Amino acid sequence: MSVTAATRSTPQVVTRRDWEGSSFPRQVWVLTGRSMQALKDRRLLVMSVLQPLIMLALFSQVFKGMAFAPGFPRGVDYIDYLMPAILVTTGSQAAMWAGAGLANDLKNGALARLRTLPISMFSLLTARSVFDAVRNTIQLSTLLLGAVVLFGFNPSGGVPGTLAALGLALIVGWGLSWLFMALGVWVRNLEVMQMIGMVAVFPLMFASNAFAPLESLPGWLQAIAKVNPLSYAINGSRGLALGNLDLSPIFWAVVISCVIALIGAVAAGRGIRKP
Amino acid sequence: MPDLMIDAKDLTRTFGDVTALDRVSLQVPRGTVTALLGHNGAGKTTLVNVLSTILPQDGGSARVAGFDVATQGHRVRSRIGLTGQFASVDEQLSGTQNLALIARLLGASKPEARQRTAELLELFDLADAAGRKVSTYSGGMKRRLDLAASLVGHPDVVFLDEPTTGLDPTSRLGMWDIVERLVDDGTTVLLTTQYLEEADRLADAVTVLSNGRVVAAGSAVELKASVGQRTVALTVTDANRVPEALASLRAAGFDPLHEGSRNRKITIPVEAANALAAVVRALDAAGTEVSELALHEPTLDDVYLTLTHQAAA
Repeated sequence: MSVTAATRSTPQVVTRRDWEGSSFPRQVWVLTGRSMQALKDRRLLVMSVLQPLIMLALFSQVFKGMAFAPGFPRGVDYIDYLMPAILVTTGSQAAMWAGAGLANDLKNGALARLRTLPISMFSLLTARSVFDAVRNTIQLSTLLLGAVVLFGFNPSGGVPGTLAALGLALIVGWGLSWLFMALGVWVRNLEVMQMIGMVAVFPLMFASNAFAPLESLPGWLQAIAKVNPLSYAINGSRGLALGNLDLSPIFWAVVISCVIALIGAVAAGRGIRKP
Repeated sequence: MPDLMIDAKDLTRTFGDVTALDRVSLQVPRGTVTALLGHNGAGKTTLVNVLSTILPQDGGSARVAGFDVATQGHRVRSRIGLTGQFASVDEQLSGTQNLALIARLLGASKPEARQRTAELLELFDLADAAGRKVSTYSGGMKRRLDLAASLVGHPDVVFLDEPTTGLDPTSRLGMWDIVERLVDDGTTVLLTTQYLEEADRLADAVTVLSNGRVVAAGSAVELKASVGQRTVALTVTDANRVPEALASLRAAGFDPLHEGSRNRKITIPVEAANALAAVVRALDAAGTEVSELALHEPTLDDVYLTLTHQAAA
């Protein structure tokens, strides 16, 4: 090390600093910037776009036959039926990964230093949420583009309907990200979070009307799907894309998302203060 | 700035059944170094966490840099730096990004952050690696970056939790250098350690913790003088020459300990460190060859045993 008593010729040192801390918005801005560094990892970028596209390809081809299932809306292409659901489910999965990432960060001490700074730990959560929303927007937009170009996604709601469906999926994803952040903050274990993803989130994707109309599901699955909040979100998103202006599912999806976000925010805010 | 930069009274903290801190009091005057000495589990890290506002206390009070840790945590945090035993740096960012992030969070403008970051990287010999991700750094580099990170805001009080545990001797010396420089600049330092030698070398005052309680406090010299026994341990090359060596040592005024006829090791309790010279002279006089000769300072165990024995009595 160059730090010895002999080398007194230190570089020009800033005299006694007058930094008086940063405001909440500034903290969020700086911390969001920190998360944004992750976007620079090409591999991560490619993976996060590729995975949903692959899912889309698989589901659209494997389940094409669903178009002939009872209850399937007439005159609608399967891809137009499927895509809004994929937007919601991809957003939900991304939210789960956000929570897992936070759990991991908390566990491996990357955030330990932030606790010793005069900042609000809540700004860290907010920054994550903002970053998450940005990443989600990029991911889902790219997915939409892929669906249009590769699979002929062309719903009757046109561009406005599609954008509205995207917006709804983003709101649902945002609400869920707070829920999963709360979970991550309390669980603080990557493996457990992944398990929750496998055991809870993934099955919920299927126990819904994402891939097939409710009526075509066996009785017990239908029952679960009916209470599955994802079903409402999917209904709303689908309605917007297809141009059915049934406001009820849209309204409920937004309300539930806000409620979940609030609960998640409070729980996460409490939990993150524990060292 | 207050004269007492750390003023803790009767701090108590429990985790379930375990009492990690049991009415611990501590005072650290400005510009001095205090060492917290104790084994693992003694409560050192808990105390540091309470004083740096990371953990709330269950009882007692503490003021750091003039502010109450319980009610003015924010202001405490704007004046302290903390370096833990495990480097808490963000491995996905570069060295520069890590430091700049902290500077900006403390309120620095972008140019100020850049400047401060450059200063610290230069000081800690990390300028070359500054642009690389921290995940590519060696363990020693991560530690240096961690320490640099705790100094970004020119803290008035720096907490160092076991700063040299696990470091090789060269790095340890380097770390001691840094601590001494910090004090030269007027910073108040509280460091925790398991090594009496470290406390001895760096600290103006030492507080010994055992099972969450303060069992002794004073200067390092006072502590070592009051407990433990220096010894000189030597190994004679030829077992047959032991009796002569023993006789010579006794003649010189020592009281050597030796057991067994084939045992080549002799232990001699001594008072002063310069007794080593006298031992060598005595051995020379007997013409004894030794293969090993060392002066052993009282160990932490000696201090502990004595202090806890005294505390129990």
